[in-house]
Amino acid sequence: MDTSQYLDIFIDETREHLQNLNEFLLVLEKEPDNEDTINEIFRAAHSLKGMAGTMGFKRMQRLTHDMENLFQEVRNGNITVSSKLVDILFRGLDALESYLKNVQETSDEGEEENEDIIKGLSEVLSEGTGKPVQNNSELEKPKASVPIRTDKCKYRNIEIGDSEKSVIDKVRDEHKNLFGITVWLSETCILKSARAFLVFRALEEKGEIIRSMPSAEEIEDEEFEFDFSLLFVTEESADSVKSMILNVSEIVEVYLEPYSNYKKPPAAEIEETVAEVTDKSSEVKQTAAKTENKAPAKQTKAGAKHTARSVRVDIEKLDTLMNLVSELIIAKNGLVSFSGVESQTEMVFKEQIEYLERVTTNLHESVMKVRMVPIESVVNRFPRMIRDLSKKLNKKMELYMSGEETELDRTVIDEIGDPLMHLLRNSADHGLENNNDRIAKGKPEVGSIFLDAYQDGNNVVIEVRDDGAGIDVEKVKTKAVEKGHITYEQADKMSEKEAIDLLFKPSFSTAEQISDISGRGVGLDVVRTNVEALGGNIEAKTELGVGSTFIIRLPLTLAIIQALMTEVGHEKYAIPLGSIQTIEDVEPKDIKYIHGKEVINLRGNVIPIIRLREVLDVVDEENENSNITAVIVNKGDKQAGLVIDNLIGQQEIVIKSIGQYINNAKMISGSTILGDGEVALILDVNTLV
Amino acid sequence: MAELEYNKSSNVNIDGTQYIVVKVGNEQYGIDIGIVDNIVKMQRITRVPKSQIYYKGVINLRGDVVPVMSLRTKLDMGEIDYTNSTRIIITKFDANAFVGFIVDEVMQIVTIKDDELESPSFSKAADTNKYIIGIGKHNDILISILDMNAVVDEGQISQ
Repeated sequence: MDTSQYLDIFIDETREHLQNLNEFLLVLEKEPDNEDTINEIFRAAHSLKGMAGTMGFKRMQRLTHDMENLFQEVRNGNITVSSKLVDILFRGLDALESYLKNVQETSDEGEEENEDIIKGLSEVLSEGTGKPVQNNSELEKPKASVPIRTDKCKYRNIEIGDSEKSVIDKVRDEHKNLFGITVWLSETCILKSARAFLVFRALEEKGEIIRSMPSAEEIEDEEFEFDFSLLFVTEESADSVKSMILNVSEIVEVYLEPYSNYKKPPAAEIEETVAEVTDKSSEVKQTAAKTENKAPAKQTKAGAKHTARSVRVDIEKLDTLMNLVSELIIAKNGLVSFSGVESQTEMVFKEQIEYLERVTTNLHESVMKVRMVPIESVVNRFPRMIRDLSKKLNKKMELYMSGEETELDRTVIDEIGDPLMHLLRNSADHGLENNNDRIAKGKPEVGSIFLDAYQDGNNVVIEVRDDGAGIDVEKVKTKAVEKGHITYEQADKMSEKEAIDLLFKPSFSTAEQISDISGRGVGLDVVRTNVEALGGNIEAKTELGVGSTFIIRLPLTLAIIQALMTEVGHEKYAIPLGSIQTIEDVEPKDIKYIHGKEVINLRGNVIPIIRLREVLDVVDEENENSNITAVIVNKGDKQAGLVIDNLIGQQEIVIKSIGQYINNAKMISGSTILGDGEVALILDVNTLV
Repeated sequence: MAELEYNKSSNVNIDGTQYIVVKVGNEQYGIDIGIVDNIVKMQRITRVPKSQIYYKGVINLRGDVVPVMSLRTKLDMGEIDYTNSTRIIITKFDANAFVGFIVDEVMQIVTIKDDELESPSFSKAADTNKYIIGIGKHNDILISILDMNAVVDEGQISQ
């Protein structure tokens, strides 16, 4: 066995601990005396160190060890929380994050020693405590004295045979220590054998396990409750053995004492204390199963050592799924038994079909829910980012978030982080004015940025709003003319909305000063591309002097959508229902020409029509229909009529990627497999309109 | 996938490399068996508008949508109608990406030792020759070994 099979757990847990540390540090900076927070921080740092140590990531371990020392002094009240202290700790967290990234990509932590951070940490430490620091001082343990409970010292029940006896005698002669150890795992622990293995591994580095109860095989097969006992021979002291074991996560208690007598258990001289470590993450999340996330779209190219992407799933959601599958089987059986009897009426058949349909729809919904993850996992790193930006830009600002519990498909969650980060930076850098300007304008000195997420029908809306200067539309127009995007005449005629849309054009930035935060002109157009790649759209609203809002709309899920199946020539195309407004029958005489382009007048709106036959190069002969069927689609406020030959109907379709090798001028967003096995392409309305 | 990996590793041994020999036009080409996932009969292809001319479209391969390329078009040989012997060689380049290649006929599987491959003597300047990494001989038949990575790579033959 080696540790690689626990790499995924390590990565998941480390990420969680780092996120917790980030959040707690932010709290600590605001409330330096909050004891709970300090304790939480200490615990997280401690588990982190232990995990890194067990996995053999020495550099991570060293860095966390030094950070832990600092937390220790804070907890003891020897150091007061200063902004400098928090800064260096944040740098430490960033360094740990990059280690983690290395681990994830290469299964190795990399070569970076981060000496400057370690030096910074010890400087802060020595400044605070007034004494020089030893980097590799003996590990400090959180200890709470609890009287030992004999019934938990199960190692006393270990039965030993002759072979063990001879080993024990030999140990005595060699003056090594023999310990009886009982380890209690947290009752929420999911991978008990993994934890036990980590304990075994840690111990075997420092000595020899001569006996375990239950046996090693039973432990490997998880055939034990929440405890296991060991006889362990080592040259280490009792304290260091105990701390090695406690470094493994999800271990609640360790009972350990010298195993002096193998015939009768020692009765009196018990002076051991029991250390308690509670693992926060395991307490909070009682979620159990892990399912592999099989995303049909947007799969990244697998690297050589690609760690599996996983979703933690609420057990209730899985139960629902199970029930639905059972129902599905019942429905199928209904059909099977029916097919044997010929005299049955068509009624029964239809009933069964309807039942089947209902179950599959529910099944789909439930599976979809399993793939849903709260947006929290993406946005919870933003408070930290805004803090950093606030320092860097020398502007006071505060981030307010709401709707973190809003759920999105896992594939969307993975991709939405960068666009949101960009918008927030944008707001912090360009949106908010300097503190002095704000006071001069009579605004509160501290700028506010809001991140609101909520569900709206089949969409999830995420808004990034600031109470800054807003977008100067005239300035945008001038800039666009300067850059040659538009002419003066066009600028004159442009509505405010159209002008704001210019911001999303490639290489367009109105920032007067290029900073390393934003303003390099690779901003909003990339945001838009990313959002659109997820099947969403983005728009901006602004009021000069009051602030601006960026609104992102995303589909709830990517995997399965409702679509309208249509025919163009003999080819079938799916149009996502979400972008369809109406379907119109148009008489040829109603088609007018503006600038050589075909348009129709639909209830007062002039809408351009797009003949799919031509756009898609369909070669079949035209059928001589007098009337034309146009599917009216919209993209934001823009509308267009897509001319098709035949309507097939509405259908729930599963989206399949067509791969990266085949070009399609972006007109096709994917494909789906129809009931008869034929592949139909899905039109990307965003590109067509 | 596991089997495929196995093939790949067992491929580089003293016995040489196994190739699937296919007929396209009047010539025989060898495709490294390590990247071949499957060989299927001709089936309904859905055309993808605006795609490269050599991509005939996409097919449904047991629930996966796979792009399919005509080796004839790719190798500048002109189209013929599909026959009963026409096959699609399904290849897998990495975990998620299948590509199918339409060939006129699948002939046999041969093993050619790596040191028996001759470098192509003709100029690489000719467009279609750059896909050939070597010439192998099997029972007096010349087999051009295709560099499949170069074949799927974008942007060499303009549309």
